[in-house]
Amino acid sequence: MTENKNYGTEFRKRVFFYILTGFFCILLSQLFRTQIIEHEIFDEKSADNSIKGIVQTPLRGVFYDRNYKLLVNNKPSYTVLVSPSTYQKRLNPIIETVLGVSAGYIDEVLANNIQYSKYIPVRIQRDVTFPAIAWIEENKEELPGVSYMVEMERAYPDSISASHMFGYTKEISRKQMDEEKGYYDMGDFVGNNGIEHTYEKYLRGTKGVRYILVDSRRRENGRFKEGKNDKESIKGSDLVLSVDEDAQKVAEKGFKNFVGALVAIEPKTGEVLAFVSSPTYDLNNFTVVTPREIWKKMNVDPNKPLINRATLSVYPPGSTFKPLCAIAGLEEGVINENTVINCPGGFYFGRFFKCHGGVHGGLTVEHAIEKSCNTFFYSLILRVGLDKWADYAGRFGFGKKTGIDITEENRGILPSTQWYDKHYGVNKWTQGYVVSLGIGQGELSVTPVQLAHYVAMIANNGKSRRPHIVKGYLDNDKKMVPFTFEETDAHISRKTMDIVKRGMFLVVNGAGTASGAKIPGINVAGKTGTAQNSHGEDHAWFIGFAPFEDPKIAVAVLVENAGFGATWAMPIAKSVIEAYLNKPVKAPVQKDIKNGGKIIAASLKN
Amino acid sequence: MLHRSRIDYQLEDRFDLILFFSAFFLVVIGLLAIYSATLHHPYAQGNFQKQAIFFTLALGVFFITYFINPGMFSYLPVPTYSLAILLLIAVIFIGKKVYGQRCWLELGSLSFQPSELAKIGTIFFMSYFLSKEHTDINSIRDIVAALMIGLIPVALILLEPDMGSALIFFAIMLALLFWKGLDIFSIFVVMAPGLVIFASMFGVAPFAAALVLILLILIYFRRNLFLSASIFVLNLGAGFIFDSIYKILSPHQKKLIETFIDPNADPLGSGYNAIQAKVAIGSGGLFGKGFLNGNQTQLRFIPEQWTDFIFCVIGEEFGFIGALITVCLFLALFLRLLKIASFTKEKNEFTSLVVIGILATQFAHFAINISMTIGLMPVIGIPLPLMSYGGSSLLINMFMLGIAANVYKNRKQHA
Repeated sequence: MTENKNYGTEFRKRVFFYILTGFFCILLSQLFRTQIIEHEIFDEKSADNSIKGIVQTPLRGVFYDRNYKLLVNNKPSYTVLVSPSTYQKRLNPIIETVLGVSAGYIDEVLANNIQYSKYIPVRIQRDVTFPAIAWIEENKEELPGVSYMVEMERAYPDSISASHMFGYTKEISRKQMDEEKGYYDMGDFVGNNGIEHTYEKYLRGTKGVRYILVDSRRRENGRFKEGKNDKESIKGSDLVLSVDEDAQKVAEKGFKNFVGALVAIEPKTGEVLAFVSSPTYDLNNFTVVTPREIWKKMNVDPNKPLINRATLSVYPPGSTFKPLCAIAGLEEGVINENTVINCPGGFYFGRFFKCHGGVHGGLTVEHAIEKSCNTFFYSLILRVGLDKWADYAGRFGFGKKTGIDITEENRGILPSTQWYDKHYGVNKWTQGYVVSLGIGQGELSVTPVQLAHYVAMIANNGKSRRPHIVKGYLDNDKKMVPFTFEETDAHISRKTMDIVKRGMFLVVNGAGTASGAKIPGINVAGKTGTAQNSHGEDHAWFIGFAPFEDPKIAVAVLVENAGFGATWAMPIAKSVIEAYLNKPVKAPVQKDIKNGGKIIAASLKN
Repeated sequence: MLHRSRIDYQLEDRFDLILFFSAFFLVVIGLLAIYSATLHHPYAQGNFQKQAIFFTLALGVFFITYFINPGMFSYLPVPTYSLAILLLIAVIFIGKKVYGQRCWLELGSLSFQPSELAKIGTIFFMSYFLSKEHTDINSIRDIVAALMIGLIPVALILLEPDMGSALIFFAIMLALLFWKGLDIFSIFVVMAPGLVIFASMFGVAPFAAALVLILLILIYFRRNLFLSASIFVLNLGAGFIFDSIYKILSPHQKKLIETFIDPNADPLGSGYNAIQAKVAIGSGGLFGKGFLNGNQTQLRFIPEQWTDFIFCVIGEEFGFIGALITVCLFLALFLRLLKIASFTKEKNEFTSLVVIGILATQFAHFAINISMTIGLMPVIGIPLPLMSYGGSSLLINMFMLGIAANVYKNRKQHA
């Protein structure tokens, strides 16, 4: 190894030096070649023929009703865009005039929509009128940076509003975009509430991409490889709702002058047939960016139209809760169908609890429901006991969310020993608190959808399914693929259910409080209720189901500040039952829908 | 330099101004490029501020390292190396997966790559081993031992798998062995398999050519027949190793190699970056398109341009002049490191080797990054030192340069 001595530090240092400077020279020559000699080629390449993928937004799935009638569709609309890189601010006044917006609007939109590149066009206004678009097209040479495109927006039916049920789509927020990283882009519309929100993943479809050649100003120079690498967007799945358009229409009509809510359910399946929260709002205001005046108006409206009363507002159920107390009493064996409780016109327990309608005398449970005797149920709930009673109420879904397939639901309040201990303190409350619960007053509070689910369970002998508005979606062959919803079962004996249902039958058909609900040819059963309201006029309840022999529809109606249940709530329920049952039975016409959602899509491509 | 004042002379004598200011300006140019690449970007907008904060921290690290007592460095090799190995094992099991690789360890909100620490640990430990009195660089046993020090982290890093970082380790090992004084024939023996593997990537003909070249060199050295034959067989085997290495690579990395061989094969996939990077640099011309005016950069043709493709921003917006200044600053930095290493070669071999290891790390990063950016190498995910966005890498790099500055300051005191 003597030769090693010939290669000392000086030699090795020189090797390093040559490697460093040698690489430096290679680098410089390569940089010189690309940046100076071949500069023109790359400059040209950079100026045009850059391949850019353009995202193709798919059509949103549409909604059909249970009879495959088209409810919510898509329609084309024009959107005006501005590219900040080439747009000239001097155009602001004329464009603002053409679009019919206030001065300063464009600057505001541009300031709020800073994109990651100033070459990306910003949406200035959606749903622009055709004359405005025609004007832009005619003058496009003088309007640098201004463009327009066709986008799809929701088209809602004229017959029904169903605003709280359908929900609306809204331009995605940055926060939402971060949560769902990967799918959404700026300017995408995303389901914001109602069905649009719950079923977003079904409705949104799959985005496609079109590769185009663009120049440095994003001007298109034709397609890349004649579109060989393009991916078509796939339309979102169409949803089949369980809602019956006719029943929904009648229900909304009934609420024309009232504030309240209605939920109608098919007892065996849990399918929602009609769903109203009144007042409604016009979904057409939400198809594009909602004008600020409309937002403001809706937010200051004392009737709060944006609140979904059917799932969010809670009220004491009043006498509609008496059947539940009866069920608890019969199932626990503290009474049977022949047990008679005497009503001397009231009930003394620490203080005097008044019955309405004078002295009822001796009543069995059936007739106590029929006459809605308070005394009977004051006495009964004490015999059953608070926690047993609360157990039965829980089995019928009270005190918890029903799980209906539109988000934001109130669980209501179902008092129990534990609840009272927590809210008033141990031993700081008395059985006197419990007495009112027997007639559905007191701390007990429920949502209309809970009450509808409850009456559906009664109608179907203690069993139903989780309430839901969407039955399923249509697959590629336009076949309905159903969603499944869990069964809800209160495990009540058939005998008990028959007694309670008979009582509810007598409410309408006997000497009860709701004889006005009779429909020729259909046996209706029901129960009225009055929710005490310390802030004003009492709220009116009506629950009912029909036909009595084989219930097809169960309904719960709440009318705010309408006093006695039979006066205003019952007629609305009656009209909905009638509209749903009294119509020519027809098989769902599947062939219609083959075209339904696609007509617009086809015409758009031309 | 007689006209210089006394204070100036002293400062220059104790503080390596060229080393510091070339690094300083490289980070500043990098910050400008990061700013341009992330302007109005939906999620990377804050990267400029983050990098600026890390730069302040990194300057602190640099000066602390600069002022430290040089005796401290001799305590570092064993702890840093063992900690690095432990973390490399940990990252395989609990590392965060990014693009199919497990390179990142997360500690709360902080995340860093253990391979960064492993670089400095390996440099320390291998330098320490090679500079020991009893180590004979030309005994097979010690060469193998030295190689093992480097190959253990390499094996762990290949499990992540991170081919780019593994390459850096080979550069460190080779540089240290060479600087220590490994003879030319042994250098050839160590390097040849790498050459064969590289050639075999391109097909049978280059593979055969490489083997012929090795045969010729073996004949030139005229060592004993048995040794020469075994070396040749070893290299023949190495060519086939590529096949099996290729199999353990992630699909992502396979694609990178395929596109390097033919970047136009998949212009929308992995070849896309290579083409767009070249277009960006080439279209910059002599003076560039101006700060914030590069349309390739501003249109975000290259994803995450603030990381590995940062040099494109400079090439496009500052042109040939900007690229030239950047490359010259790097060259100045590298030559300075080489000079510092040679100052102390005779007096303190350990620190001299450490500085050469630092030079090898910085240069390998630079060479691989720039080569892939201007299309001389496949796209391998290696950042450009001091310039690419990345806090932990900036801290480690400034720490390394701080060591070099410290060695410069104390160059005369070493005995």
